[in-house]
Amino acid sequence: MVRLEEYNILVIDEDPDRAAIVERGLVESGYARVSRIGTSHNLVERIQALAPDIIIIDLENPDRDTLEQMFQVSRAIARPIAMFVDQSDASMIQEAVSAGVSAYVVDGLRQDRIRPIVEMAISRFNVFDQLRRERDEAQAKLNERKMIERAKGLLMKEKGLSEEESYNLLRKNAMKQNRKIYEIAQSVITAFQLEF
Amino acid sequence: MANKVRLGFVPLVDCAIPVVARAMGFAARENIELELVREMSWAAIRDKLAFGMLDAAHLLAGIPIAARLGLGGLPVQNIVVPMALGRGGNAITVSTKLYQRMLEADPDAMHGPRGLSARALKKVIDEDKAEGRPIMSFATVFPFSSHNYELRYWMAAAGIDPDADVNIGVIAPPRMFDSLRNGWVDGYCVGEPWNQRAVFHGDGVIVALKDDIWSRSPEKVLGLREDWANSNPELVSSLVRALVCAAEWADQPGNRVELAHILSEEANVGAPFEVLNASLSGKPVLRPGEPPLDLPDRHVFYRYTATFPWLSQGRWLGEQMKRWRQIPEDSDLKAVIREVYRPDLYRTAVDGLDVLVPKDDWRVEGAANSADQALVGRDQFLDDSVFEVEC
Repeated sequence: MVRLEEYNILVIDEDPDRAAIVERGLVESGYARVSRIGTSHNLVERIQALAPDIIIIDLENPDRDTLEQMFQVSRAIARPIAMFVDQSDASMIQEAVSAGVSAYVVDGLRQDRIRPIVEMAISRFNVFDQLRRERDEAQAKLNERKMIERAKGLLMKEKGLSEEESYNLLRKNAMKQNRKIYEIAQSVITAFQLEF
Repeated sequence: MANKVRLGFVPLVDCAIPVVARAMGFAARENIELELVREMSWAAIRDKLAFGMLDAAHLLAGIPIAARLGLGGLPVQNIVVPMALGRGGNAITVSTKLYQRMLEADPDAMHGPRGLSARALKKVIDEDKAEGRPIMSFATVFPFSSHNYELRYWMAAAGIDPDADVNIGVIAPPRMFDSLRNGWVDGYCVGEPWNQRAVFHGDGVIVALKDDIWSRSPEKVLGLREDWANSNPELVSSLVRALVCAAEWADQPGNRVELAHILSEEANVGAPFEVLNASLSGKPVLRPGEPPLDLPDRHVFYRYTATFPWLSQGRWLGEQMKRWRQIPEDSDLKAVIREVYRPDLYRTAVDGLDVLVPKDDWRVEGAANSADQALVGRDQFLDDSVFEVEC
């Protein structure tokens, strides 16, 4: 029986951060032979050289069209590779597609041995998505705070209000108009930028 | 309430039909809220359609046939084709360096009919063989694309074996141009704007147009999941009607400049206006710095039954799959094509509209002076062969 660490897994991803997260997840689960490559024009040659048993690639990656050719030209690669779809498990397909994961495996590998690898990739893609969402949200929050600070500064300078009065003015208007404070701040900034 | 349809497309000139259906209100008129999703690869758009993330897709005509046959490693996917999305605007472009070599090797072939320009390529290949040089690389966009079959047809007619004398690889359309530019491939067959773009940048020369190979070769189609189509028959009809009306709009010469502007937007094709306009106005430039040709049929979206899903066009694709050993010799193509291509859905949808539909669902392809030339346009293979198969 083939031990876990003997599977040769290749991760192809244009996003090096995501590829690193997937790689780490696989290595921590006991898969020792994991390599990763980004976009490359000699993809076929590189895959031939690495001779992977399993390729994990993001669903949207245009290199997938090149991989599909390998199914047709078996002489291009020592062992035929096919897309992994576990037909007995429709929910897994849905999970993979919505996470943006696709996997290609060497013909003849047992489905039950591949599933945990694909599941790991799916969960890592989801983790990465979550991290990116949190980062984007944090960035958005920071921008909102900056906008409020700028609006307060303008009100203090142009209207002679104190910092607290400026903030209270923004808050009062936000409540009255049923809008967010940063939206009012944005309107204030826009208004002061108008040229008369 | 409007019916929502999520339609995926790949940024190529022939995404015009769905893009126009949304931009010019043809979808809204059919009470459809058309959401367009831009995809960068054929594998991705196929999988998203197959697994329900899209309701409809702009697909290479070969993909639904390959999916039904379970080719490409995927288990069988039942996709149906209720209409074609125009005749496309493919061309074969070679690097300027290879063009110079072809010109020197066989000036007669390069000044004769473009469909036979591969004769010059054959001479270059023979020179390389004699000198022991490595074989050249060409690219198409997908194993089951008309581009692949057109490139092979063009080569084979000149005595080139596309499986032995050259390397034919696959590169997604948006990456084609860079591959030629960086010298990773010597030539390619792709849809516009990726040929015209190479010419405008001085990196490539167009040596054959789709029209020079076979003007009626099938290109893109509308693909729907069969179960979705079966459970939404009225929506399928409305969608087809909206797209046929959009095709008619896009086909008018007077609308082409506006169309080039719409397609140049980043959310659509995202290529420079002048590149798109050269090709859409029927004035393609084949060689850098040369005056444009006058080819009003360079892009056909509606006329010549360009939206009708001809069984004989699907069958031709299937026969090319056999010819290049992608499927076994004994595959029952007649049954498969009838399952995939659904002219009945098209006929139902356009019933009552002022749309010219042929009497039959298939025809003898490539016969010069056939009685229906006015309806289907010029129909000639580069080698004058006739494709007569009962469908």
